[in-house]
Amino acid sequence: MAFIKKLGFNLFAWAIVLAVAFPLFWMLVTSVKPAFELFRRPPTMLPETFTFEHYLRLIERTNFLTYFRNSVILSTATTIVVVAIGTLGAYSLVRFKFRGRESLAFLVLFTYLLPSVVLIIPLYLLLVQIGLANNIFSLVIAYTTFALPYALWLLRSFMAGIPEDLESAALVDGASRMGAFVDVILPQLLPGIISTALFTFILSWNEYLYALVLVNSDDARPLTTGVMNMLVSSFNIEWSLLMAASVMMSVPLIIVFAFLQSYLTRGFGAGGVKG
Amino acid sequence: MAAVVFSKVRKEFGSFTAVHGLDLNIEEGEFVSLLGPSGCGKTTTLRMLAGLEFPTSGSIEIGDRLVNDLAPGQRDIAMVFQSYALYPHMSVAQNIAYPLKKRGVPTAEQRKSVEATATLLQLTELLERKPRQLSGGQQQRVALGRALVRDPKVFLLDEPLSNLDAKLRGYMRVELVELHRRLGRTMVYVTHDQLEAMTMSDRIAVMDGGELQQFAPPTKVYAEPANRFVASFIGTPAMTLVDGELAREGDSWTFNTDGLSLSVGTLADAAEAGSACLGVRPENVRIGQGSISATVKVVEKTGHENIVFLKLAGGHRLTARTSAQEVWQPGEAVKIALDADHVHIFGPGSRGSRWNRPAAAQEAPAPAQKTSMTPPTSKTGSTVQEATP
Repeated sequence: MAFIKKLGFNLFAWAIVLAVAFPLFWMLVTSVKPAFELFRRPPTMLPETFTFEHYLRLIERTNFLTYFRNSVILSTATTIVVVAIGTLGAYSLVRFKFRGRESLAFLVLFTYLLPSVVLIIPLYLLLVQIGLANNIFSLVIAYTTFALPYALWLLRSFMAGIPEDLESAALVDGASRMGAFVDVILPQLLPGIISTALFTFILSWNEYLYALVLVNSDDARPLTTGVMNMLVSSFNIEWSLLMAASVMMSVPLIIVFAFLQSYLTRGFGAGGVKG
Repeated sequence: MAAVVFSKVRKEFGSFTAVHGLDLNIEEGEFVSLLGPSGCGKTTTLRMLAGLEFPTSGSIEIGDRLVNDLAPGQRDIAMVFQSYALYPHMSVAQNIAYPLKKRGVPTAEQRKSVEATATLLQLTELLERKPRQLSGGQQQRVALGRALVRDPKVFLLDEPLSNLDAKLRGYMRVELVELHRRLGRTMVYVTHDQLEAMTMSDRIAVMDGGELQQFAPPTKVYAEPANRFVASFIGTPAMTLVDGELAREGDSWTFNTDGLSLSVGTLADAAEAGSACLGVRPENVRIGQGSISATVKVVEKTGHENIVFLKLAGGHRLTARTSAQEVWQPGEAVKIALDADHVHIFGPGSRGSRWNRPAAAQEAPAPAQKTSMTPPTSKTGSTVQEATP
C-alpha cells in the first residue's frame, strides 16, 4: 500500500514536472532545428540536423542585442532602485516609531488595488510631462512603482525578524547608526535582499504592457516588446527566431536562479518568523 | 573608572512615564544592581545610561561628563545584553574585535587584545566559531568578552544571566563578582532576580513603577527595607506582611490585628496612629516559643531547612523558617513568638514607608526596646509577655 502511494505520488509529481518542462524543451529544440524541419508531420522530437543559424541571424541581422542591453540596464537599474529604497524604507517602518506607521505600511499596498491598465495612461502623461517618455528610465520609474510596495513588505517582515539588540549592541560598540546598519543589519537582511532583488529583476525582465505603452522608439525597447515587434507581425511569425530569442531571454534568469535559488527558498520560508 | 550620576532623570514614552525623576549616585568602581519587577523602569534606566534612549528631562553624568546628548559609542561604556546580541555572521574573534575595529585600533593590536580577552574567558578554542555553534554559556562569555576587550569606564549588564540554567547561573555569578574585583570598574547590573542582586552588588537600587524605592547595600536593604514594597520584594520566602492598626501610648506603640497584639516600642517621628502594616521575616518567627496561637498549614522541606506556613487565630498567614531538625506536622496547633528586634512597621499603602527607628538610633535607648506581644484577649495590653529570651 505504501509503495502504491509512493508510486502514485511520484507519477503525479513527474507529470507536473513534464507539463512545466515540455514547453521549455520544445523551445530549445525548435531554436536549433532548421526551418524546413519545423512544420514536418509527424514532428521530430529531436532535430535531425542541428543548426545555430537562427541565433547567428538574430545577433547579426536584428536589433536583438540592443533590446538585450536595454533589458539588462532596465532590470538592473530597477532592482538597484527598488532594493535601495525598499531596504531603507523597511528599516524606518520597523525601527522608527512615528504616528501612523502601520497605516503608512498598509497605504503602500493600495497600489495593488488598482489594475495596472488604469494606471498606465496617467503614468504615461506624467512621464511625457517630465520629458522621460520613450526612454528606458521611464520604464525604471514605472516598474519601481509596482515592485516597491511588494519589496517593502517583504523586506519589512525580514527586518522585523532581526533583533533590535543587535543594532543596539553595535551602537554601544561604537558604530554610527549608518555603520550599524551596514555592519549588522545588512548582512542579516541578505536573504531578504536577494529574494527582493530576484523578484524585482524577474518582474522587470518579463514586463510587457508598460513597455508596450511607454516606449515606442526601437532604441529604447526592452526584449519583450522588441522581440514581439520584430518577429511577430499580423501575417507571419518567425518561429525559429522567436524560439532562439526566447532561449536567450531565459538564459540570464536561469543563471541568476541557479546561483540564488537556495537564498530564494530560504527567503520565502524565513520571511515571517525568524528561526 | 567613573562615577555615574543620575539627576532628576525622567523618561516618558507618549503619555506613559517609565522613569519618574530618578536621582542615583553611583560611585567609582562600585557594583550596583538595578532591581525590580518587570516594567519598573530598570531597563529603561540602563538604556538611558547606554545612550539607547534619551531622557525626557534631567541629566546623566559619567565621570563628571554630561552624556545626555552623546551617542552610545561616545560614552565609553560597554554593555552585555540579555539576548547576548552577538553578531551572527561574525566569528567569535570578529565579535570580540568589533568594538576595537570601530574605534580604529590597528589590526595587530586588535588581535593581541582579542587573544588576551579570550584567554581570560577561556574562549581561545572557540575564536573561529560562529555564535550559533556555541552553547548558551559560551555565547554569554563571548558577549562578556566583547564588553571587556575595550576596557571601558562603565560596564552595563542587562539581565545577562537570565537565559542560563540554574547551575551555570550560580557559577557565572561568582565569575562576575571575581571579574569586578579584578577590574575594579564601575558596573551597573539590571536584574529582576533578587538573589543575583543580593549576592553580587555593593549596593542595590530597588525600583518600582519608575521610582527609586531604596538605594543601599544588600544587608541594609534586607534588614531595613525602606518601605513595604522593598520588604515584600527582597527575601525568599518573602517577608510576611500583616495589615492592622497602630495605637500610641506615650512613647510606646502597639500594633493590633485579629489574633495578634504586639507592643512595638518606640517608632520614628513619622509614625501615625491608624492603619499600618507589620512585617516579619520567616527566620524571625520562632515556633514553639511565646504565646501567639497558630496552626501549621503546610511544611516545605528543602533539605537544609523547613519552611512552615502558619495561620494565626485571626486568619492571617505567616511564614516561618526552621532548621531541618525541627519537625512540625500540618494541622498541629502551636505557639509562636516573633523576634522583637526584627519586626518591621510600615505605613499604609503598597509603598508605605518603614516607621521603625533606624538601627543606630534603636541601640541608644535600651529599656523600651524589647518588643512584646500579648494574646488578643487583652485590649489594654496588660498581660505583657516577653517574646524572646
